[in-house]
Amino acid sequence: MNHEIAEALSLDERATLTLDQLVEMSELPAEELRALVDYGALAPVDPAAATWTFTATWVVVARTAGRLRRDFELDAHSLSVVLRYVQRVEALEAELRALHARAG
Amino acid sequence: MKYKDYYATLGVERSATPEDIKKAYRKLARKFHPDVSKEKDAEEKFKAVAEAYETLKDGEKRAAYDQLGSHAQGQDFRPPPDWEQHFARGQASFDDIDLADLFAGLGGRGGFRRADPNAPIAGRDYEASVRVTLEQAFHGTEIQLDVSVPELDDNGVAHRVPRVVTVRIPRGVTDGQKLRVPGKGGKGVRGGRAGDLYLDIAVTPHRLFRADGRDLFVDLPLAPWEAVLGASIALPTPAGTVNLKVPSGTRAGQQLRLAGRGLARPDGSAGNLFAIVQISVPTVTDDAQRTLYRQLADASNFNPRAHFEREATHEP
Repeated sequence: MNHEIAEALSLDERATLTLDQLVEMSELPAEELRALVDYGALAPVDPAAATWTFTATWVVVARTAGRLRRDFELDAHSLSVVLRYVQRVEALEAELRALHARAG
Repeated sequence: MKYKDYYATLGVERSATPEDIKKAYRKLARKFHPDVSKEKDAEEKFKAVAEAYETLKDGEKRAAYDQLGSHAQGQDFRPPPDWEQHFARGQASFDDIDLADLFAGLGGRGGFRRADPNAPIAGRDYEASVRVTLEQAFHGTEIQLDVSVPELDDNGVAHRVPRVVTVRIPRGVTDGQKLRVPGKGGKGVRGGRAGDLYLDIAVTPHRLFRADGRDLFVDLPLAPWEAVLGASIALPTPAGTVNLKVPSGTRAGQQLRLAGRGLARPDGSAGNLFAIVQISVPTVTDDAQRTLYRQLADASNFNPRAHFEREATHEP
């Protein structure tokens, strides 16, 4: 039996990724990721930079986008709108959790 | 090989048109997709629906599937003899194969047959839900995961390869957080990179502590005299019991902050632990205690409802 222990990495702002890495992780083509940046659904560290990098926090959003695109056959614009709703729901759920935590 | 009735999964007839199949899929995907649905077992249901659609939406895959004939859901069956040539390079055994992996190998997305049969193929990513206790989230932990990812054999046929992966979960994970374990998904083929393992963390509700991100909250019941006079309280925290000084004149609902006693942040700092004060009133059955409360009532001019009276004087 293999006793090697693998490290689980937090997808936070300390790590950065290239566009190519985000393509691999999200299974979205680069042009779709670029379109999502254009529509404001993804944000590179420096949009004006010649080569974009992204903080690892965007991996979760990009993978969600990859699933939604594949499973609902959405184009980049529809995807950016659906992602906005998904993020709003997540924000509301976080607010609800915060209220429950404080109220008991 | 176990038979899966893809038509029944989508709720369509075997004679359904591609348009009927697409409509049935879209309706079910809208209902069960885990990113948009809160239905019970949505993820499992959606996986079955997506697997059925992946095969039935593609003319070539649907024709190959239809060749299998009609069997009962889950029934063991042997595929036709010419399938080996269709799905594999050379001799292959289909005994331990999942039907979904087999059809995924027939062209299309994630397909194992490419224009260049020697091109590298990346391993599949694998997602798993991991439930941890609050103590495990606080201290970090190691977990063992049973991972079953389709991997290609030498004949190009995908087999589910069960593996046990031991993963170190860092301290300070929060409910709903996603973690990535690089290279622990499916193995790549012909030099392709290995897939990744993605973990979806769920923190089990704790009997004392409630979490909001990396801040923790605990109810702190105080006797009325402890709140009035102040007290030194032994307060449980995930790191062990600490001594908490409750100042005199503490009110119900007040939050006493214990800085840095919450969950660790990736930058090395930590959230806070908040003790939320509740005033617990004892049931007084003893005459001596009742007398003392009466004496206190007579001696005090405290009016907890002064704001009611102020409100009443402002009424038109």
